Amino acid sequence: MSNVILFNLTTVLFGVASALYLGALYAKNEKISVAGTWVCVLAAVVSTAALGVRWYESYQMGIGRIPVTNLYESLVFFAWSVNLFYLIVERKYRNRTFGAFVMPIAFFTMVFAVYNDSSIQPLVPALQSYWLHAHVITCFVGYAGFAVSAGAALMYLLKSKQEAAKINEGIVGLLPPCKTLDDLIYRAIIWGFPFLTAGIITGAAWANYAWGTYWSWDPKETWSLIVWLVYAAFLHARVTRGWYGMRAAILSITGFAATVFCYLGVNLVLSGLHSYGG
Amino acid sequence: MEAVSEVRTKGVPPAVPAERTPSPIDQVWDFFISVKLAIFTLIILAIASIFGTIVEQNQPPEKYHQIYEDWAFALMNRINLFDMYHSWWFLLLLVLFTTNLTCCTIDRFPKMLRVVRNPRTKFDGNLEKTLSLSDRWKRKGTLSDWAAKYAEALSSSFAKPKVTEDGGEVHLYAETGVVSRFGVYVTHLSIVIIFIGAILGNVLGFKSYVNIPEGEEASHLDARGGQVHINLPFSVRNNRFWVETYPNGQPRKFASDLSVIESGREVLRKTITVNDPLQYKGIWFYQASYGQAGDVTAQIAVRRPDGSSAGTLSLRPEKPIRIDGYGTIRGLNADQNYQGKGPALHVVVEKPGKPAENFWLLQQLPEQDRQRKDALVFSFGGLNSKMYTGLQVAKDPGVNVVWLGCALMVIGIVMAFFLSHQRVWVRLAQGQDDRVEVVLAGSASRNRLAFEKKFEKLQTDVKAVGQ
Repeated sequence: MSNVILFNLTTVLFGVASALYLGALYAKNEKISVAGTWVCVLAAVVSTAALGVRWYESYQMGIGRIPVTNLYESLVFFAWSVNLFYLIVERKYRNRTFGAFVMPIAFFTMVFAVYNDSSIQPLVPALQSYWLHAHVITCFVGYAGFAVSAGAALMYLLKSKQEAAKINEGIVGLLPPCKTLDDLIYRAIIWGFPFLTAGIITGAAWANYAWGTYWSWDPKETWSLIVWLVYAAFLHARVTRGWYGMRAAILSITGFAATVFCYLGVNLVLSGLHSYGG
Repeated sequence: MEAVSEVRTKGVPPAVPAERTPSPIDQVWDFFISVKLAIFTLIILAIASIFGTIVEQNQPPEKYHQIYEDWAFALMNRINLFDMYHSWWFLLLLVLFTTNLTCCTIDRFPKMLRVVRNPRTKFDGNLEKTLSLSDRWKRKGTLSDWAAKYAEALSSSFAKPKVTEDGGEVHLYAETGVVSRFGVYVTHLSIVIIFIGAILGNVLGFKSYVNIPEGEEASHLDARGGQVHINLPFSVRNNRFWVETYPNGQPRKFASDLSVIESGREVLRKTITVNDPLQYKGIWFYQASYGQAGDVTAQIAVRRPDGSSAGTLSLRPEKPIRIDGYGTIRGLNADQNYQGKGPALHVVVEKPGKPAENFWLLQQLPEQDRQRKDALVFSFGGLNSKMYTGLQVAKDPGVNVVWLGCALMVIGIVMAFFLSHQRVWVRLAQGQDDRVEVVLAGSASRNRLAFEKKFEKLQTDVKAVGQ
């Protein structure tokens, strides 16, 4: 399968990009991280091509469906979204140190994907719906936003101690100032939140069209609600004083932990209606 | 809320020190309008919801007894952990949540509306102190001249300003994105609308399930675990149910050919599949499951060696059929694709005083049984299985209300987070040295970093006027 070869190449590229960004931090060399950016751009091209090829190959097999329907495909699509979201952030904030904290998320996601079944299976009747496209894409763009926010939150935790002590040296010294990180934590969430909301709504609409119930407290639904509640709490905490900075960072990391559980934990640990158990 | 805090201008102490203890009613009200309560409720709802995903919901008691000790079962049952999302305490949490956001709206919406309707068009010193983005400069010329020039500059680079003259000063006020102030209220209202839709559905609608064998029809339904009986004003007939498969044998499609019969007439016919239901008079029928209605029978044609027919048999699994003057024939099992040669039936023939013979009859080779050189030749005509289709039936008059709420929620969130109420003030005053003193300032309700850039550009644009 040529799509799998392309995805394997993507995994390598994400690994190289992560290493370059981390190396650039360690060596305090901006040129290395510029190389990291180009590797990310290349990875974006290769992974987009891989998704396209996989889609095309499914048609050749007489199955013909969007490549976001099992665990392998959802993992690669998540990594694809994180990479793209990251490139946008890098461009907008003109700071490459984020890469050292965000790209490893994409890399480890791909490594995890490689250990899963990568064959193209036909769609079970329950998944044959146009809602599938809207539902999966909105959810994963949301997840990618939360991943970027959590990466920035991690950087914030490292940086805030140093900034409080008014020292500005070492690897941490290269990180963007706390004010910028705090802004990114918030900004990534306000992008992720409406997408997650739309993801939950399209999921509900689909469930209603397939089963006649838009909400049945299935574990996956419930966990998506939990994630939504955590980020809603974050956004409300933001408008009251004192919930900037450290507390916001911790809430963002908590939210992302809930997101990861919603995405993977529910399928691996709990039982429910979502298909990608393996 | 930002709008509200701005009204109480910084640096000015309140006229009366707030020493007086608030009345109990005020205390209750303050409790319900606090954002702290909102955060608390959101987090508690999240934590509570986790329990319901760890403890499997609505399982038969026997299953719980297998998992939990007796005391744990008793405790969990007492706090409704087995049907948690419908328990009184979870509903109470939802009521608290709704009350909180309703009270917040009642408290803040009129204040916000006042600020939006009566913007601070007068740019005084107190307001200036609260604004972090500002600039000041002087220009030679007359006040009215510059006021007109700057008003035009604001119109072209930002928004048309409102001009007020006051005590020898001219104030310009311009704003954009005022609609973003409504985002949070639209979002909160959407949640209330979704809940109303859900309640409507629960009160006026029903969820049910019915199995209909092929060729039969149904018009009676049971809901709420058999407590409620529903008579539909029409009936639904299952003409046929079938399964289509992919080349690898995995199911591709579950389909039922359904007819709606009303007063003895077929008024609607549709083949439903998973993800493509049938709807008639607000009642929806969803393809949910299927199965065999009654036993499968295997059709056997019996002939004499000369080819003349000796009748047909319908074999039920493991039930021998006696053929007078011959013996018995019994079906053992059937195979959809026996040794790659298509459907086949495994049968046993027993004759008095002879050892039992068992052999396969291939549907595609009706003459194959001649090789036994027996008094009768059997051929397999296929399995005759009557299927039933399992339909989920739902009526939910609240569902469109829920979708309205959902649409408003997305719109509200986008309004609240991606639009920003941006305001710009200019004050012009005649200075002592025959020059006009100009002060420019601005503020944004959201995305201040982006507004800083926009403000910088506006600053350059405005200052360049008349130079």
